[in-house]
Amino acid sequence: MSEQMSVDSAPPAAAPGGVSNPMHYDFEDAQAGDLGALAAIADAMKSDNLADRLESLKRLGVLALAMGEERTRDELIPFLDESIDDEDELLLSLAELLGDFVQYVGGPKYAYVLLRPLENLAAAEETVVREKAVESINKLVESMDQPQVEEYLIPCIARLSSGEWFTSRSSAAGLYAAAYGKVTDAIQSKLRAGYEALCKDDTPMIRRAAASNLEGLVGKIEKDHVLSFAIPNFRRLAEDDQDSVRLLTIEPLVAITKRLTTEECKQHLSENVQKLCTDKSWRVRYMVADHFVSVAKNIKDQELQEELVNVAISLMHDNEAEVRGSICTQLDGLADLAAPEAVVSRLQAPLQELVEDPSQHVRSTLAKHIGSLCRVFGKEGTIEHLLPLLLRLLKDSFPEVRLNIISKLDVVDSVVGIDSLSQSLLPAIVELAEDKQWRVRLAIIEYVPLIASQLGVQFFDEQLLNLCMSWLGDPVYSIREAATTNLKKLTEVFGVDWARSTIIPKILAMANHPNYLYRMTTIFAITTIAPSVTPEIVRDQILPALECLVNDPIPNIRFNVAKSLEPLTAALRKSSDTAALESSIIRPTLTRLEEDPDPDVRYFAHRSLTAINNGSPTTA
Amino acid sequence: MGQSDLDRQIEQLRRCEIISEAEVKELCNKAREIFIEESNVQRVDAPVTICGDIHGQFYDLQELFTVGGDCPDTNYLFMGDFVDRGFYSVETFLLLLALKVRYPDRISLLRGNHESRQITQVYGFYDECMRKYGSANVWRNCCEVFDYMSLVAIIDGRILCVHGGLSPVVNTVDQIRMIDRKQEVPHEGAMCDLLWSDPEDISGWGLSPRGAGYLFGGDVVDSFLRTNNLDLVARAHQLVMEGYKHMFDATCVTVWSAPNYCYRCGNVAAILEFDENLASNFKIFEAAPQEARGAPAKKPAPDYFL
Repeated sequence: MSEQMSVDSAPPAAAPGGVSNPMHYDFEDAQAGDLGALAAIADAMKSDNLADRLESLKRLGVLALAMGEERTRDELIPFLDESIDDEDELLLSLAELLGDFVQYVGGPKYAYVLLRPLENLAAAEETVVREKAVESINKLVESMDQPQVEEYLIPCIARLSSGEWFTSRSSAAGLYAAAYGKVTDAIQSKLRAGYEALCKDDTPMIRRAAASNLEGLVGKIEKDHVLSFAIPNFRRLAEDDQDSVRLLTIEPLVAITKRLTTEECKQHLSENVQKLCTDKSWRVRYMVADHFVSVAKNIKDQELQEELVNVAISLMHDNEAEVRGSICTQLDGLADLAAPEAVVSRLQAPLQELVEDPSQHVRSTLAKHIGSLCRVFGKEGTIEHLLPLLLRLLKDSFPEVRLNIISKLDVVDSVVGIDSLSQSLLPAIVELAEDKQWRVRLAIIEYVPLIASQLGVQFFDEQLLNLCMSWLGDPVYSIREAATTNLKKLTEVFGVDWARSTIIPKILAMANHPNYLYRMTTIFAITTIAPSVTPEIVRDQILPALECLVNDPIPNIRFNVAKSLEPLTAALRKSSDTAALESSIIRPTLTRLEEDPDPDVRYFAHRSLTAINNGSPTTA
Repeated sequence: MGQSDLDRQIEQLRRCEIISEAEVKELCNKAREIFIEESNVQRVDAPVTICGDIHGQFYDLQELFTVGGDCPDTNYLFMGDFVDRGFYSVETFLLLLALKVRYPDRISLLRGNHESRQITQVYGFYDECMRKYGSANVWRNCCEVFDYMSLVAIIDGRILCVHGGLSPVVNTVDQIRMIDRKQEVPHEGAMCDLLWSDPEDISGWGLSPRGAGYLFGGDVVDSFLRTNNLDLVARAHQLVMEGYKHMFDATCVTVWSAPNYCYRCGNVAAILEFDENLASNFKIFEAAPQEARGAPAKKPAPDYFL
């Protein structure tokens, strides 16, 4: 258990003289053009301390500005190129920096001078450095024109592609797509040949790089070359003996299907798709499942799609939980692949099993996505087939599963109507309203106003009112807060009379709670609902209760009363019958609180009074 | 620095965004002025909610406020170890400090063993300051504040709150009042023990495996409480999987407020609410879920040249 390592021990006693103070270069007072600062940057670049060198790198733009474009090209860039055997962290920053350095070397026409150091970085051993260098080169290419790309970038790609060590070849694969659109046909054909060589490379790492960059290239090439170049190479990679290569071919597959007609898909790809779906490596099946709908949608052939639904169902029965989970994320799109009746009849059995899946992760993903099926199942189908499954998930032992179902209930509502939902789900909801996890309770509270509006007053009072009031006394602060907002929404649904007779007396009763945190909830609740009730209710019920709390021994209560008087004043001003209370009660109370022994009470009383005097108290 | 500046800084820090180096400097100066007025033994009135180690777990601190209530509505007493180990020591400590400056009567902060120059250089706070500000100035400012923080607090004259525990050279609360606390945490002596010691099922005193402070038994707690007319020692400093733990017939309680400590220990966290009648109530909470954490704050170092 990591408990052991997480216990700290005292460091060895320091030498007399106390604590060491790490040295560092102080750039704080440096200004652009300040020679001392420039010298400091230059010094720090050669410092033995990595942190200083990193810092100096961040300020390289200033140095470049001071040196001017020409000297930056002739001196600074070659210097940086030489520092390439530094620590990886520094190389990473350098690779990122050079991508944004065009402005300092004289604009796009000199962008090529940055290629050289970046080419070296693209051959570095550390993956993140290489990736960043490739990203920066691609950024540079955006600002380069065709002659420059042909003169500088193409040779660079050629050198990297024929590099002896795998690192440079792997980086090369990431550069083809950007270069491809900016060169003549003749060079394009050379690029395709070069890329094909990478796809055939002996090293799996290179084939992986070729597979993951194929998607970008597919978007750039002519339709003819999709057939003659992309598909053969996709096939080669999709049949690679390394599963780590095969799993990277799903994304290029999606890209290729986008470029083909239905007939062409069927002719060139169906075999490979089938093979990938039943791949012996679960990681490949996972990728298929994860991209299932995008693959299937682009293959517009009806027959093939129907077949794919079967494949999806077999993935729902996969041995690996990850695969089952990822196919669950595809439920929504899946439903569109076949006729609705077919979907309903064929998905029932696998769904039954997924609801009982031993992996909580699978159940939780299912809970998140199952609601989207209601649309296809229709009202009858949902009530008959899906509701029992939803109910079971609502009672799942894993809180995230319950939460995911609750947060999607409104989708279910819109299909089956609240009547059937409340009849079948209400007992489960009432149970969840007391869930141990406060986030589950919170999700239920947020759902309550919607149910209320459909259930009607009488049913609500019988079934849910006590629950709503009990949340005001919840041990978790944010639940109490949500409970007050909920009451405001309920007041808007059921009307002011209902609020006066039903909830306000219960709220006010809490003003006598022995714990200040719950007395505070009373104040929060009345402040929140004040804009939704009549000025008379504020006068007759709310103000008298506050007048009692204003003398509370706990300052936190008193300053919250002070805060609440501002929105209450706004409510009182709405009617000429109650507006007078502002000068007879509110102002004297606040003036008294401004003399309170506690500084926070004085502050908030003063703030409320100032807001009222300015004539525009904000409503809660 | 006006109240509205401070309120803006608090809002910014609540979003887990750092404030500028100049603002930190001013905030630390203000905080020091407040702490310097507080005694070694800070008097705290109930009701108050007491919290244990936070260790830079910013989003879990937000979770704490979600469960316990926001400052200033709820009164808080934090028993030290705000920094180190977590990813957001800077934001965590500065937020608590800003709240302290804004609402000095609503929140109290005690010093923990990690509020020290030496420890923060080993366990992450120093590096985090360097990474987020590009210089050690913020770290240095914070360390100066550490030196002024109170060592213990006493709630309504009944409950002693301290980061670590008791010391063999401290028999009375008055002896704590005599300590000159405005210094780096020493390697031995009363001040060191208060911040480093742990309770243990032994009688009397024992050597601490931590290399600083002592282990103390139930009899030690009993006689200390009796001598000083107190009811309870509340402390933090040790990970407890259940968030809190009573010892010695509930005369000593450990409160731990960093859920899933170090992002991998799998523990729950707790805070301890005392209402105005000193009735106590533990609130348990778990680590903030991923959705509540936001993207890792990737703020580049401030650019002094623009």
